Amino acid sequence: MLRNISWRYFDFWLLGAVVFAVAFGTTMIRSAVAGNEVLLPLVNRQIYFALAGIILIFIVGAIDYRYWMALHRLMYIAILIALLTLTGFGQTAFGAQRWFQVGVLFLQPTEFAKIVAILVLARYFQATQDRPRDLRWLIGAGAWASGIILLILLQPNLSNVVVLSVILGALLWFNGLQVKHVLVFGAIGSLVFASVVVLTYYNIRIPFMQEYQQDRIANFILPDPNATFGATYNVQQALIAIGSGGALGQGYGHGTQTQLRFLKVRHTDFIFSAISEEFGFAGAALALIIIVVIAWRCMRAAQKARDVAGMTIAYGVATLIFFQGMVNIGVNLNIVPVSGLPLPFFSYGGSGLTSLMLSVGLVESVAMRIRQLEF
Amino acid sequence: MSVPNQKHQTGRWRTWLVYAVVVAVAGSMLFRLGSLQLVESPSWVAQAVENYRSEVSEPAPRGIIYDRNGYILARNIASYNIVITPAYLPDDDADIQHIYREISQLTGTPAGGPVTEESLENAKLFAACAPGPSIADMVALGDSLAPFTPVKIVCNIGAELARAIRERSVDWPGVAVEIEPVRDYPTGSLTANVVGFLGPIPASLKDTYEEKGYIANRDKIGYAGIETSMDDVLMGRNGLRVVQVDVAGEELRNLEPPLEPRSGLNIVTTIDTRLQQVTEATLKDEIDIWNDWFNELRISSGVVIAMNPKTGEVLAMVSYPSYENNRFARFIPSYYYDQLAQDPRHPLVNNAISAELAPGSTFKLSTATGAINEGVIKLGQIVQTPGRLLLCEQFSPNDPCIEGRNMRPFVDWVYERDGVINEAGFGSLDFLHCIAYSSNVCFYKLGGGYKDEIAEGLGIFRLGEYAHALGYGARSGIQLPGEEDGLVPSPQWKRINTGENWSTGDTYIASVGQGYVLSTPLQVLMSGAMVANYGKLMQPTVIREIQDDEGRVIPVWFDPNTFSLYRAYDLAGEDGRMGRVWVNLADETETYSLPPPDSYQISPFTPTMKWDATVEPLIREWSCDAGYCDPTGNVKTIQPSSIEAVRNGTRLAVTSNPLGTLYRVFNELFPLPVAAAGKTGTAEYCDDVARALQKCDFGKWPTHAWTLAYAPFEDPEIAVLAFAYNGGEGGSVAAPIVARVMQAYFELKAIDLAQGGE
Repeated sequence: MLRNISWRYFDFWLLGAVVFAVAFGTTMIRSAVAGNEVLLPLVNRQIYFALAGIILIFIVGAIDYRYWMALHRLMYIAILIALLTLTGFGQTAFGAQRWFQVGVLFLQPTEFAKIVAILVLARYFQATQDRPRDLRWLIGAGAWASGIILLILLQPNLSNVVVLSVILGALLWFNGLQVKHVLVFGAIGSLVFASVVVLTYYNIRIPFMQEYQQDRIANFILPDPNATFGATYNVQQALIAIGSGGALGQGYGHGTQTQLRFLKVRHTDFIFSAISEEFGFAGAALALIIIVVIAWRCMRAAQKARDVAGMTIAYGVATLIFFQGMVNIGVNLNIVPVSGLPLPFFSYGGSGLTSLMLSVGLVESVAMRIRQLEF
Repeated sequence: MSVPNQKHQTGRWRTWLVYAVVVAVAGSMLFRLGSLQLVESPSWVAQAVENYRSEVSEPAPRGIIYDRNGYILARNIASYNIVITPAYLPDDDADIQHIYREISQLTGTPAGGPVTEESLENAKLFAACAPGPSIADMVALGDSLAPFTPVKIVCNIGAELARAIRERSVDWPGVAVEIEPVRDYPTGSLTANVVGFLGPIPASLKDTYEEKGYIANRDKIGYAGIETSMDDVLMGRNGLRVVQVDVAGEELRNLEPPLEPRSGLNIVTTIDTRLQQVTEATLKDEIDIWNDWFNELRISSGVVIAMNPKTGEVLAMVSYPSYENNRFARFIPSYYYDQLAQDPRHPLVNNAISAELAPGSTFKLSTATGAINEGVIKLGQIVQTPGRLLLCEQFSPNDPCIEGRNMRPFVDWVYERDGVINEAGFGSLDFLHCIAYSSNVCFYKLGGGYKDEIAEGLGIFRLGEYAHALGYGARSGIQLPGEEDGLVPSPQWKRINTGENWSTGDTYIASVGQGYVLSTPLQVLMSGAMVANYGKLMQPTVIREIQDDEGRVIPVWFDPNTFSLYRAYDLAGEDGRMGRVWVNLADETETYSLPPPDSYQISPFTPTMKWDATVEPLIREWSCDAGYCDPTGNVKTIQPSSIEAVRNGTRLAVTSNPLGTLYRVFNELFPLPVAAAGKTGTAEYCDDVARALQKCDFGKWPTHAWTLAYAPFEDPEIAVLAFAYNGGEGGSVAAPIVARVMQAYFELKAIDLAQGGE
């Protein structure tokens, strides 16, 4: 499985961008948790995960991605069991259980489920590459994805359902989805979204959606004039943090919103706001551009991939990183409803970072095995 | 896979479309970021500053009020309140309920069930600290208004309980014990009418006080007495710290140099608490004695004032009934306030300065001074004083006097006593005995004239001049709010206010302090003090000294018209000479280089003379033509001999055996170690209360009892006035009170001397 390895094609630009993003993120986490003794150990944890993640990139990059294709059933069943376990026993105070505690590690199967979904879909598109892009082909892909999507919906974790749906949609698109199907599904999607908003507006509960999720969407589309301070507090504080950063920021460790804890979950969901406050427009734009660069390097690998599976994997990872990144930044900027998705590579989170490093490793694996025309 | 295969490649347009989406999305994010950070930045920075900038007002300790011997009349004590900050309570409802139940067990305040809209509405009706709503409701209410502001749950808990709660509050996030300074009046109702009480800043004055750095729901202002009039002195200045706070409200550092609170100045009053205590006890005792004697609630209220006539210092001022000002310490309970406000005896009003009453015979000092000074009567001249006098009621000089129509009898107080008619009255009296026996008939003649005996009476115009000179008809200017000015009637006043002409009868009864004449008890005392002090009328004062918290005496002036207080600062001028500047304590921009006009010095204590009537020509001359009188422009003084004569008359009231009005009380019942002199008064009145009891028929009118006296006669240092509402005869009811207070004064003086005091 280490055949066809060519470190010449290892994408060091991608690795460099990722390392830079993680370093930037960790630096920011350190500032964000300063003065909070409970959160202080998180900085070192993030550094350990980052170092482990870089090693992971090289290991996974060295392994031929096609090897995983052979294991797709095993992986699929394993992740379904893991998700099922969470769903079955997941009655906790939080309303949604998303972790397995293994020793000191909290594992979030959902993060890994996204990678498994990409791999399984890659295998499917590889196998069906010569078939017509008809409804059957479409339903086949949907069937593979929906196993994971449904279980995540049952958690319930709407944000990741949306992420997986977008990945599915994007991969269908890259694999030749017909435009007429796009229009039909686009129309259905819009209709569902509109009905969610309308139903919420009239206070009708929808199954599989938590009340707060419904409210978030409705509040975002139709701001409630009687909204309590609490509903908009976090986003308002994020906007203050971003706005008060100005062009060059208030300086590392000197952002009052971050340091005086007006900004909530500033080391995870709102780390972009913390960056914006302390490093200003320069720092925030840089973070945004790094995400775009990482996604672009993944897409570049996809375009050069030697087969459909490699292409699908790289596009899937690109979609995952770009979509999650933009949603997170959009939440920070108050142009997307609050979702709870972290900023890839920047936000604190062991499972999230590990799975992202894993997926970057997969892209490197694809990049190292591109069509070798140039010799 | 060795064969290159282009087939799997995604169509180029699909990829470009995706790139376009990526650029569009990232671009819009970047655009939004730029508009927030580059364009709107200043307004967001302002919001960030608003987040962490907090102004903390440090309350200035209010000044302490002492009596003249350093005994505390008003101070600040610590009061412990249990407060809950809703935002800091635990997240779990069960934990919150647990805390509520534990506090409830310790304090007895109901923990409260589920919060409903109804229970919240109910809780809104209660003032902070008022018992009633449950803990859950109070916290829910506070949470909906300002979750980071502590809500007072139980107020004024004991120090023991406060310590217990404080220990437990480690495990109870959000619960704390707050220390609140509360005004305490050790002498309570005894001095309430002088000291007053505090209340919240009213909504109408909120802006004014907030401008000066006061917090509307925390700081209090005076509502009565010295607490009101001396508010500017007592309040001090709140400190201000601008601090940086974190999201939990914890103060991290000062953003600006802090402004330290400046404590209020302390006040030493002229009141002698010991004398005040004796005075109140004596008044109550005499009232009880007489009410028991008549076996009805006859005398309902009374006033006693003791003053040094040479300095104007008020040593005791009792207005009974009073109120318990300690009950207003934390908040003003409506049930108690309503009870006081609806009490027909007006306990909240300081009757010593705010009640306008007929002065009765005590007013004869004005008539006597005028009559002797104007030569209406010579010192040794004998006046016939039968029991009653048939006098003519003329509305103009040419009105004919017809018996049975406008002739009516004016009786003396000895005419009918215990059902026995005494047509002879006092017989014939000289001027001094007219005063000593308080003969009404004599004063009718002096005031209104009588045939050839007193060819021309004093008349209402000249009587008014002397009444004003003795302190009637105008506010005294004492440093207490709510003072009334009384009334010295004039024909012009009567025409404007009743639409009738002044009649001769009006003059007769005004001469004996009846009819339209009204005065406050303090004015009656001032007239006596002025006579006692040989014509010098001293400014009555309750303030002796104003000190800072290190005991240094602060020079302060007081303007009785505006109640403004001016602090004098000594400044070294450029040429090295000392100069002085007077600064209004309420408005520091108002300054004077001379003592402000109309103001007088209240600290350090310097007796202020209002006027010396034997030196200052206060008396205007009037010329009359057919009943219409005008001042001629000529003015004159009161001759020292005239004052001397009136003084001797008041002395004779004590020494003349047995008919002197004060003889029995001052010689037999309550003898004094020094020579005293005085004047009684029995003033007929008819007010709403008397009218309701059908007592306002001619000849049956109820009477107020008055007595004023001063001692020692030659060099008076104490003047006392007693007034008993519906008391009956002045000499029987009010005089014993005056005598007993004087006895106490001289006993206290002896004790002070023995102890080496002043």
